[in-house]
Amino acid sequence: MEQELLQLQAEAVTKLSTLESQKDLEELRVRYLGRKGLFTGLLRQLGKVSAEDRPRLGQLANQIKEELDQKFTARKSELAGSDTGAAIIRDDLSLPGRIAPFGRLHPVTQIMDEVCSIFIDLGFAVAEGPDVELDYYNFEALNIPKHHPARDMHDTFYINDSILLRTHTSPMQIRAMEKERPPLRIIAPGKVYRCDSDITHTPMFHQVEGFLVDRKVSFADLKGILSVFCQKMFDQSDIGLRFRPSFFPFTEPSAEVDIGCVICRGEGCRVCKQTGWLEILGAGMIDPEVLKMVDYDPEEFSGFAFGLGIERIAMLKYGIDDIRLFYENDLRFLKQF
Amino acid sequence: MKFTLNWLKEYVDLDLPVDVVADKLTMLGLEVDNVTELYQELDSTKVAEIITVRPHPDADRLTLCDVTVGEETFQVVCGAPNVKPGLLVPIALPGITMPGGLKVKKAAIRGQESSGMLCSEKDLGISENHSGIMELPDTARAGQSLSEALSLRDTLIEVDLTPNRPDCTSVIGIAREVAGFTSQKLNQPVKNDLPHLTGEGVPFSVEILDPADCPRYAARLLKNVTIAPSPWWLRKRLLSVGLRPINNVVDITNLVMLEYGQPLHAFDFDRLAGGKIVVRRARAGEDIVTLDGEKRKLDQEMLLICDAEKPVAVAGVMGGENSEVVESSKNILLESACFNPISVRRTARQLNLGTEASYRFERGVDPELQPIAMERAVQLLVEIAGAEAVDNGYDCVAGSTERQTIKLRVSRNNDLLGMELDSMEITRLLESIELMVTQVDDDTLLVTPPGFRVDLEREVDLIEEVARLQGYNEIPTSMPVVPMSFPEQQPGLELRKKLAARLVSLGFYEAINYSFVDENHFDRLKLDDNDPIRNAVALLNPLSEDQKIMRTMILPSLLQNISRNTSRQNNDIRLFEIGKVFHPVADEPLPNENMRLAGVISGRRLPGSSLLHFETTAVDVYDCKGIVEGILQEVRISKAVSTVFRNEVNVVPRYIQPDSYIVFQTGDKTLGALGKIDPEVLKGFGIKQDVFFFDLDFDMLAESKPEPKLFRQLPKFPSVDRDIALVVPEAVASGELLSAIDNACEALVESVEIFDIYRGDSVGAGNKSVAVTLTYRSAGQTLDDNTVNKVHQRLIKMLEKDFQGKLREAV
Repeated sequence: MEQELLQLQAEAVTKLSTLESQKDLEELRVRYLGRKGLFTGLLRQLGKVSAEDRPRLGQLANQIKEELDQKFTARKSELAGSDTGAAIIRDDLSLPGRIAPFGRLHPVTQIMDEVCSIFIDLGFAVAEGPDVELDYYNFEALNIPKHHPARDMHDTFYINDSILLRTHTSPMQIRAMEKERPPLRIIAPGKVYRCDSDITHTPMFHQVEGFLVDRKVSFADLKGILSVFCQKMFDQSDIGLRFRPSFFPFTEPSAEVDIGCVICRGEGCRVCKQTGWLEILGAGMIDPEVLKMVDYDPEEFSGFAFGLGIERIAMLKYGIDDIRLFYENDLRFLKQF
Repeated sequence: MKFTLNWLKEYVDLDLPVDVVADKLTMLGLEVDNVTELYQELDSTKVAEIITVRPHPDADRLTLCDVTVGEETFQVVCGAPNVKPGLLVPIALPGITMPGGLKVKKAAIRGQESSGMLCSEKDLGISENHSGIMELPDTARAGQSLSEALSLRDTLIEVDLTPNRPDCTSVIGIAREVAGFTSQKLNQPVKNDLPHLTGEGVPFSVEILDPADCPRYAARLLKNVTIAPSPWWLRKRLLSVGLRPINNVVDITNLVMLEYGQPLHAFDFDRLAGGKIVVRRARAGEDIVTLDGEKRKLDQEMLLICDAEKPVAVAGVMGGENSEVVESSKNILLESACFNPISVRRTARQLNLGTEASYRFERGVDPELQPIAMERAVQLLVEIAGAEAVDNGYDCVAGSTERQTIKLRVSRNNDLLGMELDSMEITRLLESIELMVTQVDDDTLLVTPPGFRVDLEREVDLIEEVARLQGYNEIPTSMPVVPMSFPEQQPGLELRKKLAARLVSLGFYEAINYSFVDENHFDRLKLDDNDPIRNAVALLNPLSEDQKIMRTMILPSLLQNISRNTSRQNNDIRLFEIGKVFHPVADEPLPNENMRLAGVISGRRLPGSSLLHFETTAVDVYDCKGIVEGILQEVRISKAVSTVFRNEVNVVPRYIQPDSYIVFQTGDKTLGALGKIDPEVLKGFGIKQDVFFFDLDFDMLAESKPEPKLFRQLPKFPSVDRDIALVVPEAVASGELLSAIDNACEALVESVEIFDIYRGDSVGAGNKSVAVTLTYRSAGQTLDDNTVNKVHQRLIKMLEKDFQGKLREAV
């Protein structure tokens, strides 16, 4: 027994010194010291030796095993230095990882979701209306009677005299106010349509309309909400913001809102036409005529409304220069966002 | 609205830089769109004096001119008919590039040296006139730069006007705003008292038959007018804003329109029958040839200016050819009127004829402006065209022009704007733009807007003026105080996000297609002529043929997307769209708008994945089915949905390969379908590879009741697996074996799964072997072989009996 143990040790040590790769070393370790290895096999026979020899042999066996363990470990670190070539063949970590394929949301959806979530966090409810709309909701109830010059601002697709494709999501103001009494905080995202097509216009595009109606709502409140929105949307807490007088038949006072150019930071560039400002949305206090249309007393309630174009924001944020790309669904485009 | 800085300065003193003016106007709501330096390129063009003119020895039409630009005299060759000694003309010297791009060089023309080019107005880019060399006024000096000699240097400003500011469709209107913010008085061209027009003793008459559509009509007669080209200053004014000079009379009416915003019209008085003006609606069947030479059919709502016999103008829109001022005209009747904006707008729309005049009338012309603009034009006609103004004239005023007074509450102003202004400040602001303000008490002001502000009718209009003049950026910023409430979100919104996210993680890209599509899609899909899905909402005025109807299905748009991508070498495609389709509803004005979730897959199963690590197998119908099953699991409605396939479906749409068609149903309602697109149909869309599609009713998914999430105790005892391989006829649907085992309701069967389908000699032709693995488990004990075998044998017997199956040996 003792002989066998010593012989095994000598054998192992010799082989250990001649082998050249980690792989061989591992095989050798398993062969001698593994759970079913030669050394373990010998130890199992320890039970068969006489009781008086047992403690001595057991001690010897343990000693040999410890020595061998140390030698294997030492040899292993020796080999590690010279062995890198072989390791690359097995695990070339410059190769790509194994990613299951995944796609992307359309950039319009991504921006739309961003816009909506900012307003949802502000306590607004999301409501959607029909794309095919009555002239009444799209124009009449919004204080744009037939033969009003403001209709020129909308190149409208008609289905017939009284039915059209909505030219803005503002009809949801009326639809929502008809259903509920103030306080109201609503945003209405959706597709809108105008018969216009060139590098900056597509006949279909996306808008988000927002409005808030309650007692004593002021223009200052409108500025507050839109300031927060622009800061969050463009992730810039000191974003420049400017309100200019404008005209919409369904708001008064009406404003156009510019942000400091996100491309040049106000220095002046091609995108902002050297002005340092980018027009980003239209807004205003809801016109008393509109409130009367839904039987709200303008003396009791006031509110503000705003509308913004999603494609425009996406174009600014991502630097897209041709709006038509949004609707070609070319994977080379969609993969970029 | 276009004007130039120099023009503006005629009415108001201004020494601010142009960008400051532009910024001020923009912040007052008059958005400056464009600022352009005019005629900058003509700085290097000089004034030359022609000394002598000789014929060209070798060319009939050319002349040799000796000219000077100061000291030396040199020769140029010229082809214009109007050269003569003493004439002052523009010259482009060698080295200059003309506005048209031509580079002037010293050259020999037919053997004669030419050291420059004498220029026409067209050569200089000033106008389209190319009939001869431009003749410069006597005030020019040889050697002077042309822009100096003609005072050409100026800055063009373009304002994008909103429809509520008709007063700013005039240079004076803009100047008034400038006077407001620079605290000045406006310098108006008409300074004298206006003549009192009574209509007495004039050789013509004016009669208004429709006072509602024509609240005011003024007319004066001017005799012995000399029709000629306008003087340079007048032509320059018009040219600088892009208007073509015609003759002095027309140019004067245009100038006054641009100056005051009041459209004027000049009739050739001698061509007006009966010396009579009648303002009336058109009669049935009437027509008129307008100044542009077009014959216009009139309807009975249109307002006309007529003489004793016939229409001579479409009121507020365009004059008639039959009374046009021409070169031979002697006597002129000048019209300065106010028309109903709605009437003019309707007529202009109906005739599809928008003019500078209709643009102003349909926005609203100041009802007090007519006699002022008339006086300005009369003065200019006398001065420039040598006209003799006949004393007196008509100024018919129908209805009251009394200005309205509006009550403005200081408290209301401050509440709406969120400001703290006092009545003094508000008064100061409103008075700066010529509004009359009287204070009644601390909170109440009575405000009378001037006639030119036709847009100011209500208290809120005045509040907007206060905000505008104060500056929107002076209004503080606050957050609204609104009671807390729970916002009820649009149903389906969350689900839309969830399913989109799931599809994206399955390799799908989201597509968004136009809601309007090509009607021919239906034929391309080989749909029957009476297929109800052909019933679509059509647009009255589509932009193009391929955007004619509102879509009733999303699939054709997605097929177009595939075609577009494969033609650009992107062959591995997964696209989905969540969007509406539109179906007309009988007796309802609006169509039913149904949200769909549709997708297509084509090409490699794992598009865009590493070729090193993943297989490149093409998609098949099981990929498609798996996607839909995944969606149903996500919505948690798998159990409520049944699938119908193959022969059980009577009608398979012709665009789908029949053996690939699966319909999903909940109860008796169709939730959606999937399948493989027919190759012939694909060819029609220009697609050469297999395409599978799915299409689900998103609204139905959103409304469905998800299976509740319910906890079940984790098993305490081990399970036992047993396999069955059953040889069955091909006609048997493998899935039904699973349903049959499910329906047997054996308590110990925990799950069952198909793991292999085998066809081959050993099972015989016309048969297949379906291998399933069953997992048995008891909640109360560890199962022994005996117990499992009993159940297992029962199931095998049942399957053999129900499906004419035979247990396959040696599994």
